[in-house]
Amino acid sequence: MSKHRTIKATVNGIAYERSVEPRLLLSDFLRQTLGLTGTHVGCEHGVCGACTVLIDGDSARACLYFAVQADGRHIETVEGLGTIDDLSPLQQEFREHHALQCGFCTPGMLMTCVDLLKKYPLASDAEIRDGLSGNLCRCTGYEHIVRAVRAAAARRGRKDDG
Amino acid sequence: MADPDVLRPKHIGARVRRVEDPRLLTGQGAFADDRIVPGALHIAFRRSDHAHALISGIDTAAAAAMPGVFAVYTAADLEGLVEPLRATSRMRNYHATPLYPLARGRVRHVGEPVVAVLAEDRYRAEDALDGIAIDYAPLAAVSDPRAALGADAPVLHEEAGTNVLAEREFSRGDIAAELAAAPIRVGGSFRFHRKAPTAIENRACIAEYDRGRRLLTLTSSTQIPGVIRDALADLLDMPGHSVRVVAADVGGGFGGKASLYPEEILVAVLARRLGRAVRWTGDRLEDLATTSHGFDEIIDAELALDRDGTMLALSAEVIGDVGAYSIYPWTAALEPVQVVSFMPGPYRVPTYRGRVRAVATNKAPTGPYRGVGRPIATFVMERLVDMAARRLSLDPAELRRRNLVRPEEFPYRVASGIVWDRSGFGECLERACAAIDYPKLRTDQGKARAAGRLCGVGIASYAELTGIGSRISAAPGMPINTGTETATIRLDSTGAVTGNFGIASHGQGLETTLAQVIADELGARLADIQILQGDSALVAHGTGTYASRSAVLAGGAAVSAARLLKERIIRAASHLLEAAVEDIDAADGRVFVSGTDRSLSFREIARAVYTEIGRLPRDAREELEVTKVYDPFFGTATAATHIAALEIDPQTCKVRLDRYVVAEDCGRVINPMIVDGQVHGAVAQGIGAALTEEIVYDEAGQLLTASLVDYVIPAASEVPPIETIHLDTESPSTLGGFRGMGEGGTIGAPAAVANALADALAPLGAEIFELPMTPERLFRLITEATAQARGD
Amino acid sequence: MKPAPFEYFCPDSLDEAVVLLAGRAAEAKLLAGGQSLVPLLNFRLLQPAALIDINRLSELAFLAEDRGGLRIGALTRHHALETSPAVAALFPVLSEAMAHVAHLAVRNRGTIGGSLAHADPAAELPMVATLLDAEIRTRSAAGPHTHDARDFFTGPLSTVLADDEIVTEVFLPALPPRTGSAFAEFSLRRGDFAIAAVAATVTVADGRITAARLAVAGADERPLRLDEVEASLAGQCFDADLVETAARLAGESVNPFTDLRASADYRRHLVAVLARRVLTEAHARIAVGAA
Repeated sequence: MSKHRTIKATVNGIAYERSVEPRLLLSDFLRQTLGLTGTHVGCEHGVCGACTVLIDGDSARACLYFAVQADGRHIETVEGLGTIDDLSPLQQEFREHHALQCGFCTPGMLMTCVDLLKKYPLASDAEIRDGLSGNLCRCTGYEHIVRAVRAAAARRGRKDDG
Repeated sequence: MADPDVLRPKHIGARVRRVEDPRLLTGQGAFADDRIVPGALHIAFRRSDHAHALISGIDTAAAAAMPGVFAVYTAADLEGLVEPLRATSRMRNYHATPLYPLARGRVRHVGEPVVAVLAEDRYRAEDALDGIAIDYAPLAAVSDPRAALGADAPVLHEEAGTNVLAEREFSRGDIAAELAAAPIRVGGSFRFHRKAPTAIENRACIAEYDRGRRLLTLTSSTQIPGVIRDALADLLDMPGHSVRVVAADVGGGFGGKASLYPEEILVAVLARRLGRAVRWTGDRLEDLATTSHGFDEIIDAELALDRDGTMLALSAEVIGDVGAYSIYPWTAALEPVQVVSFMPGPYRVPTYRGRVRAVATNKAPTGPYRGVGRPIATFVMERLVDMAARRLSLDPAELRRRNLVRPEEFPYRVASGIVWDRSGFGECLERACAAIDYPKLRTDQGKARAAGRLCGVGIASYAELTGIGSRISAAPGMPINTGTETATIRLDSTGAVTGNFGIASHGQGLETTLAQVIADELGARLADIQILQGDSALVAHGTGTYASRSAVLAGGAAVSAARLLKERIIRAASHLLEAAVEDIDAADGRVFVSGTDRSLSFREIARAVYTEIGRLPRDAREELEVTKVYDPFFGTATAATHIAALEIDPQTCKVRLDRYVVAEDCGRVINPMIVDGQVHGAVAQGIGAALTEEIVYDEAGQLLTASLVDYVIPAASEVPPIETIHLDTESPSTLGGFRGMGEGGTIGAPAAVANALADALAPLGAEIFELPMTPERLFRLITEATAQARGD
Repeated sequence: MKPAPFEYFCPDSLDEAVVLLAGRAAEAKLLAGGQSLVPLLNFRLLQPAALIDINRLSELAFLAEDRGGLRIGALTRHHALETSPAVAALFPVLSEAMAHVAHLAVRNRGTIGGSLAHADPAAELPMVATLLDAEIRTRSAAGPHTHDARDFFTGPLSTVLADDEIVTEVFLPALPPRTGSAFAEFSLRRGDFAIAAVAATVTVADGRITAARLAVAGADERPLRLDEVEASLAGQCFDADLVETAARLAGESVNPFTDLRASADYRRHLVAVLARRVLTEAHARIAVGAA
């Protein structure tokens, strides 16, 4: 049996120190060790995108990353965006545009969009759809998600201008 | 006096933002696997890797001794603890199949659970699976339903004596004579392959047993908590109040979570036995291998018409591959029988014969999947209509126009016995054509075709029966009642309104839409209403959310209960305000006396009734809680027309969808934003069914599509923008005027895409008989058609 | 779907990693981006006794121009290649290919060294390395070693790498002047592995093709260069007939497999179609780029 290792990782700005088995997936570490169940697990082979989180600011599949690798890293999850009473601008656009139904893919979708909004112009719907294509949603048919991201991209532009 | 529109805010019909969203957007949802119970045992299953085999021995000793393992169970360990599950039916020629939580002596499909390991976590439970030795004596396996019909085919269930688990025929008129006499006949052998519902949340459940209270609580990702409660109470011989099934937030279902599964029974049995929480969180491999599949039918069909395009007769012979077991509670008959009962669609088809056989094979069971049978019926019928239009040199829209049931013909009785109450069949067609500018689309297509491009336009019109009441069983002959729903609405002592329901929302936004209905009927503020659902303990009887029923049935129950509660509130107010009942109305959480400035808030009334004893006469203190059961009895028709425009790259065979329009009559629209979302999502699933989604087994019954790499569901890049038009006409048959609409997109889309593909390929003379039309199949079709055109 | 247990090592330097790997070569796997490895671990299709995590070897994350070409550290992420101005300027075909690699979250993690060592026959990067005559540089206890990309891949998920060998960098030699390039891929879904992908470079001088390169992925057990097709183009004047003949030859010269998604015939057909497209596009880009 493999030895546990102690890791120190910052999750949503909070420093944690935990002993983990090397094989523990980051998705399970977040959900089961830390109780942050907002990160969802949909396939555990890197296709569906539901478990997407930010690792040192870059989006990544939490199911393809071991908790032990997170030693010294900064992890952001959906719980680190807005709160129920104070949604982030991206979360607000998702709500305004009805970009979620069952809400299961939503945390991964949001974390992907945070990274997409940072890295790409998202100037056309085709570019938005390409950007979203690594996150599978079975409820919305994506139309409302595209609209929400379009609005968030425009809002980002306004913020930059102002 | 205030503007009545201000006094009576109309929530129904408004794009009200969903109350579910804030929790789901912030990771605060409560999905089954989110429930953290310290000390819970995790199950991993050793599942059959044989399609068909006898189990001659199981050795679990090594697994049981592995670190972190608590116990290992086989079917033998469950003897006496739980009865087998049987989906019974009053249908003739039907054979139920017993289903055990763990395979008992024999496995019939790959993925069937054989051994359960309970360990401190899933990692250790999976480690122990390698320590289990199972001796199988392989039996001949059959994965082709035609082969399963053969005299020498292995019989899956010997007590049935046949692989034909159900058989049904609908007939009206003399089909042989009509076909023989008809001047125009089109037909062919159609194939719609097997698909998977693929909710993004895999199935998961956790059972907890409170020994002190003898209370078993199953938290499950299910669409049918009420059905499961009733079934578990039977199987475990427990009173209903000792079994509670909770489905708080559920990550999509699409029918795949609308049946009772072995895993749910097992965790319940073991939690009760062990007095410890027992959890199973299915992974994607388990989902693709064991969550009920959909479709999988072979349909030989023929449509006869007069020279003017009038439909004369339709015949369909259907083989439905239902997999290894008859699923609970719907039975193996559900999906294939709906293919033949809905085949004539929204058209006047005077003569009809439809026969179906549900055939067992060594594959996972099929069950309800969004649309149930009707996507196949619509695919076949709409293909026949387009084939006939081509034969008659008529525009496909025009041929439909000539045959759709007209407004004056409602109620119209379909040859299979279904009655269309009234719906805008023709209007959907016209509105869809107008929205997409159909004449221009055809002009543009002509130009593109002249330039050698493969552009196609496909229409699909259909009708479905939604909000089915108690007169018709949701599945043929099924002994459980799915035709009623219950609402309990309460104004509590703080003035808050709570609506309790038996439905189980899993993305439909019913916490929002039912609050909209109650707000309008009761005159309450949306913010003061909370909808509770997804919990079998909320009402005496409820089944859940499936079959496009919840807005109709729960909405109707909400209307009925809210109206009665409002009467009681107004009677109480009439004492308090010293005004006649007729002069009092309620809006925005207040009752007011018309023409005066006298009013009371719901909160003040609640206090007067509950707390400030003496303010009301003793016999005027009525219960401010009303329970009503609603039964639409028959149900109501929902209709739509889909139009798809696409282009096929003749070289790569890549299909690009350019336009997609849906015009639908889903009755009185409660929340157009939510309806749009339901349509978009259902259409995307239909597009997947038409182009890429296919569960593939090899001849020996091995599953070849066991990951999301191989089972290809559409991503944002593959789905076009979808335009929607809502007719917004009240159903005459339901309380509230609502029609069900959750499944429609998946019913229309495969047919619309198939017709558009066939239309695009028309210059090559190719027809579409098979779905999904994957690039590989399209390549073969185009290659053959091109070779034929060259005269090879 | 949880991985079997393994021992975990996280060296801070290449030297340390080389020693660790040398000691456990037979039972250890290197963990770089993990985007291909971890799914195999989760499915328990691979159960290595040890993982050596090389993500802390910052010395392997670099992009440096060298003699008109590029040295790319093995730990360079796909997203860095996708957005690198140097890559776009010197090897636009690589930038173009990167846009087809999975999705942002995967490109953020996936590394060039990992992709080459994993050797998926349908992956973009091994194919582009083959196209560009990349040198794949490695280290083992025995010292440094260089492999020609064209000889590096030996079959599905297999390479010439010895068990104790670590890919350290890739060198892409400069392209000749007046060279155009193009990449085209057919997949079922955006970002999926290719059913077939083809890339080309075309170099011209004095109105004739002096050199052409054509590489394919997804159409064989390893990424291939189509020598016969390249030979058929060299020295010729570029025209539609020439491309048509070359494309047909490309389709005929691959020996694809049949799987769930596509038959060998369809793959062969796609190779021909995509070859026609990339050759035409590569040539067109010279005219635009170097006029």
